[in-house]
Parts: sequence; C-alpha cells; structure tokens
Amino acid sequence: MRSVILLVTGLVLLAVLGPLVAPADPTAINIPNRLKPPGAEALLGTDAFGRDILSRLLHGARWSLGLAFLISVIGLVIGTIVGLAAALGGKLADWVVMRTTDTFLAFPELVAAVVIAGILGAGTWSLIFALSVTGWMRYARVARGIGLSLTTRGYVVQARLAGLSPLSIARWHYLPSLIPSLTVVWTGMFARAILGISTLGFLGFGVQPPLPEWGTMLLDARMHMRSTPLQMIWPGLAIVICVLAINLAGDALRDSLADKGQTA
Amino acid sequence: MRTLLGFLLRASVVLAATALATFTLLWNAPGDPALAIALARYQSVVPAEVVDQIRAETGLGLGFWTAFQSWLGAVLVGDFGNSAVTGLPVLPELVTAMSYTMPLGLAALAIGMAISVPLAILATRRPGEWLDRFAVAIASLGTAIPAFWLGLLLILLFAVQLAWLPAMGARTPSHAILPALTLGLGIAASLTRIIRSGILEAREQSFLPALKRRGVVDRTIGRDHIAPHAAIPVITVLGLELAFLLEGLVVVEVIFGRPGLGSYLVSAIFSRDFPRVQAVVILTALVFVAVNLVIDLIYRLVDPRIGENDA
Repeated sequence: MRSVILLVTGLVLLAVLGPLVAPADPTAINIPNRLKPPGAEALLGTDAFGRDILSRLLHGARWSLGLAFLISVIGLVIGTIVGLAAALGGKLADWVVMRTTDTFLAFPELVAAVVIAGILGAGTWSLIFALSVTGWMRYARVARGIGLSLTTRGYVVQARLAGLSPLSIARWHYLPSLIPSLTVVWTGMFARAILGISTLGFLGFGVQPPLPEWGTMLLDARMHMRSTPLQMIWPGLAIVICVLAINLAGDALRDSLADKGQTA
Repeated sequence: MRTLLGFLLRASVVLAATALATFTLLWNAPGDPALAIALARYQSVVPAEVVDQIRAETGLGLGFWTAFQSWLGAVLVGDFGNSAVTGLPVLPELVTAMSYTMPLGLAALAIGMAISVPLAILATRRPGEWLDRFAVAIASLGTAIPAFWLGLLLILLFAVQLAWLPAMGARTPSHAILPALTLGLGIAASLTRIIRSGILEAREQSFLPALKRRGVVDRTIGRDHIAPHAAIPVITVLGLELAFLLEGLVVVEVIFGRPGLGSYLVSAIFSRDFPRVQAVVILTALVFVAVNLVIDLIYRLVDPRIGENDA
C-alpha cells in the first residue's frame, strides 16, 4: 500500500513538475537535428521535427494525466448525480435513469468516443466531451446500487420522516457512504481515461499536434519505426507505467476496503 | 419467455436510442457536411453548385425529422443507403468488412481463451507461489498496455526486426497473425485475472470439504463443482470482454491496415461519410446487444439460481 501511494504521488508530481524540469521547449522545431538517437544533447533523442523527446514526454504528462484526471472527475460527478437521482427519485425516475444508462452501456465506450470525437472534429474539447459522455455509467450504477441499499436504513428513514429534502439526504446521508466505493471505481476510470486519450490521440481524433500528448507522439513515432524504433518505446512505456500504477493503487484500495468490511 | 420478450423490448429501445443519438450528432456536427462530402469526393476546391447538388441528393437539405424518418424507414427494411462519397451501396461494403473483422475477432477470442484458461488453472494450483505471482503480474501488465502500442511493438519485433511476418494488409492468412495476437494477448490478460479469482472463490465453497469427505476424487470435484462455479464470473464479464474486443478491433485494423469494420468506421468518420458511419454504429449496437442477449441466456443456464424475476 505504501509503495502504491509513493507511485501515485510520483505521477502527480510528474504531471505538475514535469514541464518545469523539462530540458527543452517541447514544440521547438529544429530540422537539422531531426531523428537523433539518445545522447548527451537529447537524453531520449529527437523526433522527426528535431524536438526533444524527453521534454515532450514530460510536458505530455500534463496532457495525458491532467486530461485523464479531468475526464474521470467529470464522469464521477455526472455518474453520482445520476445514480443518486435514480435511487432517491422514485420508481419512474429510476426506470428512466437506468434505461438511459443501459443505452449508453449498450455500445463499446471507446468506439462511441471515437465516433463522437471524430464527428465533432478532432481536438482537445471534443476529446474531453467524448470521453466524459461515455464515462459516467459505472459510477451511476454503483451510486444507485448503494443508494437503494440505504433507503431502508434507520437513519435515512428518520431523516426522511424528520422532513429533510431528498437533496439534503443525498448530501449528508448518502454521499459519505458512497465515497469509498466510488473512489475504487474512479481509479479504474482514471486508468481507462489515460488509455482512451492516448488511443484517440493515436487515431488522430484527440489532442492535436504539435501538442505533446503521448498517443499523438506515438502516431508520429510510428512513421519512423524503421530508422528510430526507440522513439516509439518511450511514450508507450509512459502510458503503461501510469496505467499500471493507478490500477495497482485501485486494487490495493479495494482490498483495504474489503478488509474493513465495506462493499466496493 | 417473459424475460426474452422484455429483453427484446429493451434491445429495440436501445437500438432506437442509439440511432437517434447518432443521427442527432451527425446532424449537428460542426461545418457543412455537404461541403465535406464534396471535398472528399473531388479532392479539390468545388463550386457552390456542386455542393448544393450534393445537399439535395443526400437529403441533407431536408428537415431533421424528415431525414431521420426516411433513413430509419430504410434501415428497418435493411437498406443502409449509399455512401455519400462513392455513391455505392453501404450494405455490401459492410458485409465485406465483416468478413475481415469476424474471423479476426474470433481468432483473438480463441487465443485469449487458449492462454488464460490453462494459465489460470496452473496458477491456482498453488496460490501465492511463483507461478501464481507471475500470472498475476503478467495479467496486470497486459491490462495496462494499450492495444495500439502492443500492436506497434509486435510489428517492430516480428515484421521490422525479425522480418518473420507481414505487418500491413490482409492478403494471406499470415497477415492475420499479428493482429490476432495483439487482441488475443489483451483478452488473455484480463481473462486470466477473472478466471483465477473465480477458481479461488469456488474453492472456498463450503460444499467442497463435504464432497472430499465423501471420497469424491479431486478431478471430479474440479470438473463438476469448481469449473461451473468459476465459470459464472467469467460469463458475467464476457460482455465487457466483447466491448474490449470491439474497441481493440478498431485500433488494430487501423494499425495493421486491415479492411475490416473498424478501419471502415475510422475512414468514414474522417471523410464525414454519414451513411457509412450510421451503418457501422447501428451494426455495432446490434451485434453488441445480440451477443449480450446470448450471454444472458447462457448465464441463466449455468446458474440456476437466477430466476425469471431477476430480470
């Protein structure tokens, strides 16, 4: 657990400090210096435009991790509201909400994101919209499930009898019980968002060049696979390490909650 | 029977909603779709009359509901319309694309099962020992690797460095090896985790010591009691695996230049070819819903505790 916390702290530091310690401008084009192997001048070499790959990776952390954080939090907020509305809003609201959730789940999320981002036009805003719209359903299901299980609890019944509005009940009695489980869902969705952002970037529907998002970097690197294969290794490695760290953190969190007898 | 009817009703609601959502999205897409089609068709600057002509012939000039109704009506009788770019009917193109995508998907599924089932069984023989730890580590790593990067790495190793296998296209069966491996390894990673925990959980069941004391041999217990128990969580996640597979197919077909449904979708989006995009979306939703229905039915067969009223 401690190593996981260290790892995640490292990722946060990477996203925050990465651009500050980057040795060069990530978008500075220097054609005579293109496709250089790793060396003293550029520790990880340069890309087809002579840009420093290490600097692009470090700046890319802010795009890949920062956007993934944003997207997973948007999903968390939407999903929690939707799930609680279903749990507290009565039979009809529950039916409408759950059928809507089913509809969204009836399509592979990433394929939906590709279609949405592609049609809206490639770019960062389309990417955020596409991945947020397709990334709230799991939260909603968990929030609704726990919400429904709380409806008959003594303190919730008493709160209702005391005349508290559904909104206050949701805020003061439901939300605290939801936090542990939703945090576990959130780690999974955070990791998925990193994969989603890089996949859309790689397909050309995400963050646009020359911005140094990791998936977009891989799209560039692919063209020069024969001459500089190493260029293709770094961004992928960065993605794998981050996703792995977050997944492990999520597993550890779930296990520690299970030990405490909380459902996750 | 009631469950089946309920499911069909739900499935048609889902399909209708998907159709409406896609149509709304396409209709409100930024930019002039007629102009985009004209550019995709002629690859150069086009006069305004040509754009107007395209608007008329593709029905883009009609109102939203009129256009949606005529499109939906056609789809319901199996007519997916013509490509806005080439003018050719979409349905035969879909069938051709499917003939590349289906075998690849099935091969990937087979590879995934062939790796994950034995690995999980071997790993759970001695939980916590090195083989088990190795399996868990590999599986965690596998679920963290994006499909497109794994594909690129396989191309780099087997096509560029070793030159054993072709990387691009779909002319021979050997062209399918790397794409199938890319997808199959991803599926194997997530399935190994699930099967492993399924087996471990089944082992905890209270009826196992009773069976042992009655003298039932280990093999029989494994086959008749642990396997069905471990199968339940696996069947539950098969729907998710299918989503993973379809997502992976899009990426893998683009990387390996295979003319399947995924690369068809991506190129249709790039050229803003609305009839093609809509057709792929509807087909994907249909496949997804149908397979989930089958999974649901299998689930009921395997786990008799799930009754009619649970639906």
